[in-house]
Amino acid sequence: MGSRPLRVAAAVLVVAGALGVVLSPLLGETVSEESLWGVEPLAYVGGLLLIAGLAVLTASYALPGVLPGMFGKGGTASGGPAHTPERWSEITQQYFEVFHHDLGRPLSRIVGKERELRAVLEARSGTIDPAVADLLDEIERQGPNFRLMMSNLQVLIQLEAGPAPGRDDAVEPAEVVRKIVERYNAVAGEMGKQITWWSEPAEFGIVYSDGSAIEHIVTNLVDNAVRFAGAQVEVKLTQNPTHFFVRVWDDGQGIPAHYLQHLFDRGWTPESARRDEKVSSGLGLFIAQTLAGRQRGELTVESVTAPDPDHHTGFLLSLPLGSPAGAPSA
Amino acid sequence: MNDARPGGSILIVDDEAASPLVSAVRRGLEKEGWRTVVVEPEEGWRSGEDFEAAALYAIEESRPDGVLLDVRFGDHRDDLFKGLDILRKIVTEHPKLPVLMFTQYTQGPDRETAVRSTLRWDAPVDFIDKLASPEEVVLRLRRLIGTAPEVIRVGARITLNVSTKTVEVAGTLMSEISGMRFEILRELAVAWYRSPGQLVPFATLERYSEGEDARASLRVRVREIKDALGKALGERLGAGDLIINVRDQGYRLVPKD
Repeated sequence: MGSRPLRVAAAVLVVAGALGVVLSPLLGETVSEESLWGVEPLAYVGGLLLIAGLAVLTASYALPGVLPGMFGKGGTASGGPAHTPERWSEITQQYFEVFHHDLGRPLSRIVGKERELRAVLEARSGTIDPAVADLLDEIERQGPNFRLMMSNLQVLIQLEAGPAPGRDDAVEPAEVVRKIVERYNAVAGEMGKQITWWSEPAEFGIVYSDGSAIEHIVTNLVDNAVRFAGAQVEVKLTQNPTHFFVRVWDDGQGIPAHYLQHLFDRGWTPESARRDEKVSSGLGLFIAQTLAGRQRGELTVESVTAPDPDHHTGFLLSLPLGSPAGAPSA
Repeated sequence: MNDARPGGSILIVDDEAASPLVSAVRRGLEKEGWRTVVVEPEEGWRSGEDFEAAALYAIEESRPDGVLLDVRFGDHRDDLFKGLDILRKIVTEHPKLPVLMFTQYTQGPDRETAVRSTLRWDAPVDFIDKLASPEEVVLRLRRLIGTAPEVIRVGARITLNVSTKTVEVAGTLMSEISGMRFEILRELAVAWYRSPGQLVPFATLERYSEGEDARASLRVRVREIKDALGKALGERLGAGDLIINVRDQGYRLVPKD
């Protein structure tokens, strides 16, 4: 039960209690002139309702978030520990970690068996029937998809928990990009596409930031670019005295201007705009932009659509170079 | 001439060394020329402690060039992250030995960061998802071990010998590719070897060109390299073959075979 209905219920109790006390001389009857119960019981009941109502009202303002957690759906006391939203979020994250791991096992088996099958077929006949190879490639391709989906869910749960303390690990952005490109190279190759990456300067050095956030943002951008590229994806790292930039570019058909404003909305996909069947969750870019904002950076997009011969889409992630923990920011 | 293969040995420490996933990685490593030594569970081994002792013993015995180490050992609660204990011992006793940790994809970068913070800052340790393709594992090991081989094979027929500064195509020495032309090809081959897909920016390559218009001079040299290689290969190498100009940013190598 949320705070608002609880407060309304408390107010009803207060009003009912007050009415009981006020009206008791008119409505009630004295039980015994000699005893404590000389006053009408209705006054006692009204008094109790009044106190209870006031207590709930006071608590709902003084301890927001605690009282609703103490009640079940029907509004009855659950008897369990009080859960703040942060506590629920922590429990959800712990649950998800276990769930995540359990899903990892069958996925490892599926991918492992697929690779084994490929090796057996190659050993038997030297080559694999192209149709069979296509099927095996399809299984292999789903690995990174699945990993990114699970990873997006995990980050989403963390984001729901509210702002996390900022991190300033020493990170080599060139290494992060290199690893992501290596992960997607095979997938892109199977689709007849190429990923090219480079950094300027060639020795890019380190920055102080949240390495896992950078990896997550760039992975989402590269995943998107590989899906929508015509043939080429480029990832370029550059820097200026205060920031570093990761530009992920693809030579796809481009994104229409009227879609660009919704691109980072949670759950938005081009299919949802066209009311087609959704093929993606619409979470990746929302998560990427939210993470960029939390790193004091930003994620922007520009696109030129076909039939312009220069049709493309480019995402630009800019993040501060940061400074080591305890040092003043650049 | 040395063989282009990395040559050294990799020690694999994994309680599921016979699993299809690890077998595929072993095949990938062996295909690249690495010799693999596996620490497998033996009868009577009950815990991660046995693996730890066997792994450290195997390192002393086989003196590998690198170690591929799993994080998890079995399902016993005490051994869930036994690999990290083994890692710390290896880093302490063999601080220069490169170790690539096999993580479950569930363990993620946060855990990597936590583990790194407990190690020496310069420890040659990296982490890779167990679901990574065998090619990705090989690439990561290459970089971790710092293998910059004397001989780089670009595709099936082109071979660069970095120490003698010579190029061979199908066994025939190419005298045309020497001096600056060799350096340009070497830059491209090393970048490709370390990370297929990595472009070498013009700024890096223009060091190997002359004249007022360094870009134009570079373009001529690249054309000369392609013509010479194409002639030796018996095919005309077009704009999209072997060495490509990526949107006027730089060049990258794209071997066909």
